[in-house]
Amino acid sequence: MPPQEQSPRSSARVTVVRILPIALVLGALIGLPRFADMAFLNAMVMVCIAALYAMGYNLLWGQAGLISFGHATYFAFGASCTIMTMAAIEGGSSFPTPLLPLAGGAASFLMGLVAGWFATIRTGVYFAMITVAITELVRAIVQRWDSMFGGEAGITSIRMAWGPIGFQKLLDVYYFTLAWTIIGILLLWFLQRSPLGTVIRGIREQEERVRFLGYDTHALKTLVFAISAGVSGMAGGLLAFTNESTNVALYEGAYSTTVLINTVIGGAGVFLGPVVGATLTTLFGYYVANLTYYWLLYMGLLFMVIVVYAPRGISGLGVDAVRRLRSGAPVRWDLLGRFALGWLVVTIGAIMTIELIGAVVQPSYGALARSSGVAWPPVRVFWVSWSPASPLTLGGIALLFGLGAVLLRDTAGTASRNVSTLADAIAGKPGPGV
Amino acid sequence: MLCVRDLHAAYGNIHVLRGVSFEIVGGQIATILGRNGSGRSTTCKAVMGLLPPLHGQVQLDGVNLAGRESHDIAHAGLGYVPEERLIFTTLTVEENLVLGQKPAKPGAARWTMDELYDLFPRLRERRNIRAGFLSGGEQQMLTMFRTLLGNPCAILIDEPTEGLAPKIVDVVGETILEMKRRGLAVILMEQKLSMAMKVTDTVLVMGHGQIVFTGTPQAFEADPGIRRQWLEVA
Ligand SMILES: Nc1ncnc2c1ncn2[C@@H]1O[C@H](COP(=O)(O)OP(=O)(O)O)[C@@H](O)[C@H]1O
Ligand SMILES: [Mg+2]
Repeated sequence: MPPQEQSPRSSARVTVVRILPIALVLGALIGLPRFADMAFLNAMVMVCIAALYAMGYNLLWGQAGLISFGHATYFAFGASCTIMTMAAIEGGSSFPTPLLPLAGGAASFLMGLVAGWFATIRTGVYFAMITVAITELVRAIVQRWDSMFGGEAGITSIRMAWGPIGFQKLLDVYYFTLAWTIIGILLLWFLQRSPLGTVIRGIREQEERVRFLGYDTHALKTLVFAISAGVSGMAGGLLAFTNESTNVALYEGAYSTTVLINTVIGGAGVFLGPVVGATLTTLFGYYVANLTYYWLLYMGLLFMVIVVYAPRGISGLGVDAVRRLRSGAPVRWDLLGRFALGWLVVTIGAIMTIELIGAVVQPSYGALARSSGVAWPPVRVFWVSWSPASPLTLGGIALLFGLGAVLLRDTAGTASRNVSTLADAIAGKPGPGV
Repeated sequence: MLCVRDLHAAYGNIHVLRGVSFEIVGGQIATILGRNGSGRSTTCKAVMGLLPPLHGQVQLDGVNLAGRESHDIAHAGLGYVPEERLIFTTLTVEENLVLGQKPAKPGAARWTMDELYDLFPRLRERRNIRAGFLSGGEQQMLTMFRTLLGNPCAILIDEPTEGLAPKIVDVVGETILEMKRRGLAVILMEQKLSMAMKVTDTVLVMGHGQIVFTGTPQAFEADPGIRRQWLEVA
């Protein structure tokens, strides 16, 4: 996870190259409601929340090199405290509605100070284990303390108007979420650029060196943990604000895993990498879930492929590609074409396999077989009906995988190298990759 | 004034330092000589609190620092340039220097980044490059500058010239003399009778985890027995 490089050459051009795509994306996001339907706008609200959550999370990973397995606690606690504040506003408190995410952020920051103090006593695997232990502890308390956190039913409240802004329309919620997400990301950007950011990257590289330069590294790591928790809590606050409710289920491990997956898929080593991952998986959840019952399985497979073949995530692949192009190295179109084709046939083969098996194992399939009198009734995949047991279908799938194996034959070495790099990163060893 | 008294330190049950004592005032250079493995680096680590001492005192201007955390010791005004040139390879040269910056204690010499760049302009040219790409000599200068930006009162420098080209050794020597001119107490750890002998005010020899000789460079030169017994490889 190298820090962003600063090269002296033609800094104006570099600035344009960096700013332009961001300006375009921002423009598109601001203009989006003119083109998008309600469903897509809703999805984009969730994208913003997931993106801010992952950005907060990645302050720990990408900058301090600490991989937390229990960040759901801070996301959920931010949501809980925000909904409580919303309820207070409903009850007459003068807390300004637009600042609600700050209530969640501040609460999670404070919790992060305490939790972070314990967790950052150690690094690597031990750090990760402490984060899990703290999450379980908090979950156990929250799920029993119904009078405070609302139990299974959760807490509901409503968004109260503030001045001219009603916060009733989806449009208001969208712009509100977008604005806070951008504020949070800017905060992280300036933090990373500040001397504190430099110290934190120094700690990741070699903590002892930072200590004898006069820094209390434990205090600094605690602070970074708390800021990371606070930004994640802000994201949780946005979720509570959007849904007008929270639920103790938010404290469960799945929400810790999601943010980790988003960060890995997007890439921890590039500043906006987690945004890429969060966008992809959230939209994946919205749209692929409509197409197939097994969408989570596909997401798991995508995650595994990225861990094995591109441990620096999608944004890492992008950065590498740009760097290679700039360096003037020739593009190996033959290799690229072969790999693209290889992945295409393997993907088609995998989808066929999963959808056919997935259809056959469902109880309704057995009932259909009995009622129709056909042993293996056909299954529709890719707009075609396939007979699951016919030699043609099975042979076709085998052919796809065989072809894929031939086309991708020389990628096994990369894969095993990447896996060992990732294992090192999780164990807290500084290394070149990830 | 840095004053080390009866310092003991161990790695597990390997007792390496067995009562190290020496003192040095500001504006002076002391060189601790010793064979490989004689315990000079361990002395640095014990003084800096990176290896908590078992016993003894480390006094800087009358304040005992032994047993404190290393960041506290650094803040009290002790600088350390480790032997392994522990730069941050993934940070740029300038980021490495920024990491070293610390407010000066009253009475301590103050250093600015520009002054240091003037001492070794090559680092200024390369300030936006990742430090991992620097040559050994450049890394050594970077480590020294990083420590100086913390405005220390006393500085421990562990084998600053090991493996460096003669030209860079001269720059290192000049920088050390500049530290002396500005009133720092400088402690050099050396293995051989190197550049240090030209600049040092005091020679100390380390053996068996203790200081076995203290004297002027002339007294040291005049006593070949010391060299034979404690420095030359049998
Ligand atoms: N991390 C360590 N663990 C155990 N023993 C060590 C360690 N570092 C140094 N030693 C031992 O301590 C002794 C002194 O080492 P050191 O202080 O590095 O000597 P010098 O710097 O004079 O070459 C040596 O015998 C060395 O083997
Ligand atoms: Mg040594």
